[in-house]
Amino acid sequence: MRRISRRDFVKAVGLTSVAGAIGLPMISRSAGSTAQIVVVGGGYGGATAAKYLKRYVPNSDVVLIEKNTDYYSCVFSNEVLSGESSMESIKFTYEGLAKRTINVVHALATEIDPNKKQVKTSMGKAFNYDYCVLSPGVSFNWGVIEGYDEAAAEKMPHAWKAGPQTVLLRKQLESMKDGGVVMIVAPPNPYRCPAGPYERAAQIAHYLKYHKPRGKVIIMDSKHTFTKQTLFMDGYKKHYGDMIEWRSPVDGGKVIGVDVDAGTLITDSDEYKPAVANVIPPQRAGELALKVDLADDSGWCPVDQRTFESKKYDDIFVIGDAADAGEMGKSGYGASSHAKICAAAIAARITGIEQPEPSYLNTCYSLITPEHAISVAMVYKLNDKGTIVGVEGAGGTSPRYAPEWVREREANYARGWFKNMTSDAFG
Amino acid sequence: MKKKLFAVVFCFFFCGMAWAASNEAQSLSVPCAGCHGSEGASKGEIPVIGGLSKVYLEATMKNYKNEVRYSTVMTRIAQGYSDQQIAAIGEYFSNQPWIPGSQEINASMAKRGEKLHMEKGCAGCHGAVGISSIATVPRLAGQYARYLFYQMADYQDPDKPISAAARPMRGMLAGLSDDDLEALAHFYASQK
Ligand SMILES: Cc1cc2nc3c(=O)[nH]c(=O)nc-3n(C[C@H](O)[C@H](O)[C@H](O)COP(=O)(O)OP(=O)(O)OC[C@H]3O[C@@H](n4cnc5c(N)ncnc54)[C@H](O)[C@@H]3O)c2cc1C
Ligand code: HEC
Ligand code: HEC
Repeated sequence: MRRISRRDFVKAVGLTSVAGAIGLPMISRSAGSTAQIVVVGGGYGGATAAKYLKRYVPNSDVVLIEKNTDYYSCVFSNEVLSGESSMESIKFTYEGLAKRTINVVHALATEIDPNKKQVKTSMGKAFNYDYCVLSPGVSFNWGVIEGYDEAAAEKMPHAWKAGPQTVLLRKQLESMKDGGVVMIVAPPNPYRCPAGPYERAAQIAHYLKYHKPRGKVIIMDSKHTFTKQTLFMDGYKKHYGDMIEWRSPVDGGKVIGVDVDAGTLITDSDEYKPAVANVIPPQRAGELALKVDLADDSGWCPVDQRTFESKKYDDIFVIGDAADAGEMGKSGYGASSHAKICAAAIAARITGIEQPEPSYLNTCYSLITPEHAISVAMVYKLNDKGTIVGVEGAGGTSPRYAPEWVREREANYARGWFKNMTSDAFG
Repeated sequence: MKKKLFAVVFCFFFCGMAWAASNEAQSLSVPCAGCHGSEGASKGEIPVIGGLSKVYLEATMKNYKNEVRYSTVMTRIAQGYSDQQIAAIGEYFSNQPWIPGSQEINASMAKRGEKLHMEKGCAGCHGAVGISSIATVPRLAGQYARYLFYQMADYQDPDKPISAAARPMRGMLAGLSDDDLEALAHFYASQK
């Protein structure tokens, strides 16, 4: 484990004057500050990291660079598709973080220079850092599904980043005629929110059941199994009968291409023309992480899983969906858990007090109806090889055979979980 | 040794109390915030845990772990921690302030609940307003109503596991209707 020595500390403080002398339009350290920390990306990972860094090291300068002025949460965005939630209810601002004297800058981070230790932005300003935390989320592997690119997403939305894409998919569902088929193309592993496509199928079916009862949802999958599968399949059957169908690759579910103009999805053997096509493409780390060469061949960023420091560059930390976090699935809850550990690791570096043994948590609730939720939870630790692994004997999913009141209780708790997860990040 | 001393002095000087020797407990406890709210001050539905007593927190986590208490999710989580870790977690949350939940209260129901609370002798352990001086008895005042309702329904249910400490309540709650439980829950929730 790295500890800062007295000499390193002097060196770190010495940076202040150097930074001021270069003469670029840069933001430099405020008086008495122990460290300059730049967080890029204000989602679940980045917002939580900024908040906990400020809390652990109040005398540090924490800058949060986020391109959007509001954050639309993917978590609970499937409930917007069903009409159970509104866009307003998944919108969060950065006022809470600004009140905590975090310097929130709305700009696109265009580059990170690991040698100069500087983040450049679209507004021309560059920010020096002692430590940089990157939580850019995912980017899409356009073109792996032939014909599916950024332009195609305007006709066949992915809605895998909440915002205009969510609104577009909702509009398409609203204008669909009764009897129409909605096809959801589920992505290959690993991707953001393993349960997401399957919760989405239920939420769309929930909308159809009450507004277009002859409609159908077909999940076209390139995977042979998926998370909480029996719980989802049982829930589909119970509430939606045969309205939802899941097709594995064996049943011809693997979509290899799209024809946007014709509105068709193409598999090895067939072509389909659904009323609404929701194509969720394969994913990798956010663009900036790729550009700065923080990812490896897998498309994700290798990190020291104790600290989340990049294995490629010192003093840059990658958290959230973009990071390879061992056995942890990519989720908002997980991103927040990474953020707190990363903040602790950086605080340890700055103060010289040893970082405590990390402890990780991940949980995910999925709503099949507003009164029927299922959950998965896991506690993680670091093993001897430095990999994040589940603690034996802990965690798991909701029981398969459970009375309705159990599902209802979990649906109630899911609403509390959303409030708490978002206020912990943005409040 | 010298190095450590330097670090501690350094930390007090530069970062106040925020980052100090209690880090181990903090590391184990902050991930709970995603469900229970920052510092255990839940903003909705899931129970407030910040400010409960250390004795109760520890006992409850162990009860979940050993399946002596029913839960929808907590058993799966508590099983991830050693008893020693649970003690540290208990210490952490007991040192947080109790922030009552934010919820809508039905005043007439709360009134009826108060009457039941007195009649049924709940005050004997839970105090006049749901705040007890007994460390093993949790605070009810300001807790989320729906959560409290679920707990009372569980105590009534002969098929559910129950801890020795909770056992006296099974008899006391027997025969109370769901409406009664809801009234009690609203009474406790209405107290601050
Ligand atoms: C439909 C759906 C449902 C989901 N449901 C759940 C759920 O129930 N529970 C759960 O835990 N998770 C859920 N998730 C997953 C969750 O949304 C993600 O795992 C989580 O958002 C990851 O956090 P992050 O910080 O890595 O990325 P994000 O939250 O995506 O944040 C990244 C941020 O960085 C910004 N950014 C990126 N690049 C730059 C740049 N160069 N400059 C400036 N800013 C930049 C972006 O604007 C964005 O705000 C769901 C996801 C989807 C799609
Ligand atoms: C997935 C969300 C979730 C996570 C994560 C979680 N809890 Fe809970 N907790 C709950 C729910 C829901 C309940 C109500 C019991 C149940 O049904 O599981 C609860 C109940 C409790 C209670 C009982 C409160 C009372 O008034 O008796 C305690 C104590 C507790 N949790 C502690 C913790 C601690 C400590 C952690 C972190 C190690 C944690 N929880 C993590 C959801 C969660
Ligand atoms: C003998 C003492 C005693 C009496 C009398 C008593 N309780 Fe309790 N109560 C407890 C203890 C101890 C617990 C924690 C139980 C556990 O570990 O599950 C508790 C827990 C509860 C809880 C759950 C709190 C939480 O945070 O999970 C509720 C609700 C409750 N009691 C209501 C009542 C009501 C209503 C009555 C009267 C009918 C009553 N109690 C009478 C000792 C008592």
